[in-house]
Amino acid sequence: MGTFKVNYRQDTALFQTLWVKVWLGILVVLLIVSPIFLSRYQISILNEMGIAVIGALGLNLLTGFTGQISLCHGSFLAIGAYTSALLTSKLGIPFWLSFPLSGLMAAALGMIVAVPSLRLKGLYLALGTLAFGFIVEYVIFHWGLTKGDMGMAVRRISIYKFAFRTEKQHFYLITGFAAIAVISAKNIARSKIGRSFVAIRDRDIAAEAMGIPLAKYKVMAFAVSSFYAGVAGCLMAHYQKWIVPGNFDLSVSIAYIAMIIMGGLGTILGSVLGAILITGIPHGIVYLVDIFKESYPGLSGFIVDFKLGLFGLVIVLALLFEPKGLFGIYWRAKIYFKTWPFKY
Amino acid sequence: MKTRTIFLSLFLVGALCLTAIPAQAGSVRGVTDTSVKLACLVDFTGPGKFAGPPLAMGARMYVKYINDQGGIHGRKIDLVVEDNGILPNTTMQAAKKVIFKDGVFAIGFNLGSAGTSAIIPLCEDNQVVLMPHGANKKFYKPGNKWVFVPYATQFNMASRAVEYILSRDPKARIGIIYQDDSFGRDGLEGARAAAKFMKTRLVKEAPYKIGTIDMSPQMRMMKEADVDWILLWTYLPQTGAVLKERLKMGWDVKVIGDNTTAYRLIFPLIKQLAEGYLAVTPFVPWEDMPSEVIDMVKKYGDYEKVSKSPFPAPMYLACMAYFRAMIEGIKNAGRNLTPQTLIKGLESIKDLDMWGMCPNMTFGPKRHCGYFSSLVVRADAKNQRFVVVDPIKELVTPQY
Repeated sequence: MGTFKVNYRQDTALFQTLWVKVWLGILVVLLIVSPIFLSRYQISILNEMGIAVIGALGLNLLTGFTGQISLCHGSFLAIGAYTSALLTSKLGIPFWLSFPLSGLMAAALGMIVAVPSLRLKGLYLALGTLAFGFIVEYVIFHWGLTKGDMGMAVRRISIYKFAFRTEKQHFYLITGFAAIAVISAKNIARSKIGRSFVAIRDRDIAAEAMGIPLAKYKVMAFAVSSFYAGVAGCLMAHYQKWIVPGNFDLSVSIAYIAMIIMGGLGTILGSVLGAILITGIPHGIVYLVDIFKESYPGLSGFIVDFKLGLFGLVIVLALLFEPKGLFGIYWRAKIYFKTWPFKY
Repeated sequence: MKTRTIFLSLFLVGALCLTAIPAQAGSVRGVTDTSVKLACLVDFTGPGKFAGPPLAMGARMYVKYINDQGGIHGRKIDLVVEDNGILPNTTMQAAKKVIFKDGVFAIGFNLGSAGTSAIIPLCEDNQVVLMPHGANKKFYKPGNKWVFVPYATQFNMASRAVEYILSRDPKARIGIIYQDDSFGRDGLEGARAAAKFMKTRLVKEAPYKIGTIDMSPQMRMMKEADVDWILLWTYLPQTGAVLKERLKMGWDVKVIGDNTTAYRLIFPLIKQLAEGYLAVTPFVPWEDMPSEVIDMVKKYGDYEKVSKSPFPAPMYLACMAYFRAMIEGIKNAGRNLTPQTLIKGLESIKDLDMWGMCPNMTFGPKRHCGYFSSLVVRADAKNQRFVVVDPIKELVTPQY
């Protein structure tokens, strides 16, 4: 019944069993064919989810794996978005080059934020990152180049002569990047770097005693996390074709924290599931409102009035009844099927 | 193994069933032989949620009136009211929902200027005419083919305020306190433009960060600059704070503000301090509303609610005015209604009669702002109402 591993190679394999490969194959096929069946609105929701997945993976590597709390993840998205917007519009740099550069810019600034993290922990680090978020917001709000709160236009994604115009085209691009981000994060997590992150999270003094240089890995965690956020911001900017500071306010950073907590801290799958859930809840509420609009207009109005409350309620209930997040549910379901008809 | 196979098959079938949603039929999105679908995006849950219900009621009222008359070219108006939460991200979600899911033909009203900026590319890509509220001069200059502004912008109204001051006191020393965002800065630009055109300048400019309540530093700056008039491009709480500070300083400086403060809500907020406060607004006070508008509200809206609203009675009517412009454009477009014919229809609107509740509207191929003019009202604290002191007047300062 069980999966037995007899060497380290098997233990750290990316896809550990045949079933994992089969399920992933099915998922890939579904993702490829789904735009044929889905409406534009549904594809646009998937596109939002894809971008959120990339951002959430970055935050989970920092907070879930390394234990460094950050309240400025939205600011790194903003840095990536504005970097790419400025590079493509002012300097005429093509998207394929501005995309990695936006990640690198965010990573460089992430490394600066990381410096205080060497001395700060917990709430103090949270406050430090919050302060960085306010600085970024102030700069993009007041800097002439970024055009203040009315925002700036961003060029359409085009690679060589092919311009991405439809939701479907964006879907394949964003999903492709999200897949690369997931595989990269998975690889980081199973490497020496990932294990060092986890060691620092679990007990930093012990990690240092084992020879893990704290400064190096903490700075690295911030850099990697910010890189992910930067490229997510870049994709978001070129997908929306207009960015305003309000796209990246504190609520965005909090939403990303909700994603990784709801999905499951310290798990790659959790980041994906959390991003899908948190991005999906407002759209789910929209569907709910539409269902009741005709038959129960009062109930529909109530849902609209209290949708923020409903959103919060879902999160509170989930945390109360499933503190391990969606990954915990997934894990139990998996065990149930693996051991069926026996109880685990 | 068998269980897994069954589970896998069920999952696949379920996923395919869930995703098999038919594509939308029809040549022009939101237009059928019998109806035209229009969207109204207002805030029910965000920072501007106080404005949502009255705005939505205004839109519903006018659509009901039009449908009661048989619609336009045999087509009834199907109104979709959606919560946009006023913020850019939530506005984007709402716009995608009404365009992609509901399939609206045009967006007749969208609350929030930053949110409007965010959704313009979406509207361009999907050929959706958009009418933004909380409008900024940037929406008509340089402007956009798909954006029409049926309301005076802050730029226009600040120009009007400066022209009003200088027409009474040509040597007036004018200072401005403004909110440091697009709303306040658009007002600042308009005031500067009018001052420059009339060969003078603003002697002091004092910004404040959104949410600031203590306006004493800005007032001290005004006092040090020895201004005669203070122009306020602020929201109601900051306006109240300035008027309180003026009393505290024992300074008899004249104050004129923007349209967001020309509401009855100012009276319970600062009581007698409101007396004599001037404001620029495109809408006449509720008490002076023409009978056509009052009759329409009585027949199609909730007259009690609108007339007794402690605040923004004009808000109900602002949204109504937007839909009057949009529907006039649809009428001008004729039976062959497409996004392109709607643009032509809107651009052919000339002096659209607004019954005197606000300036008449004119659009053109090179003019996507319905009107630039506005009027000046004064607060009458005793009777808790605003009275017109300078009627609707065209601006002399160039607005393009």
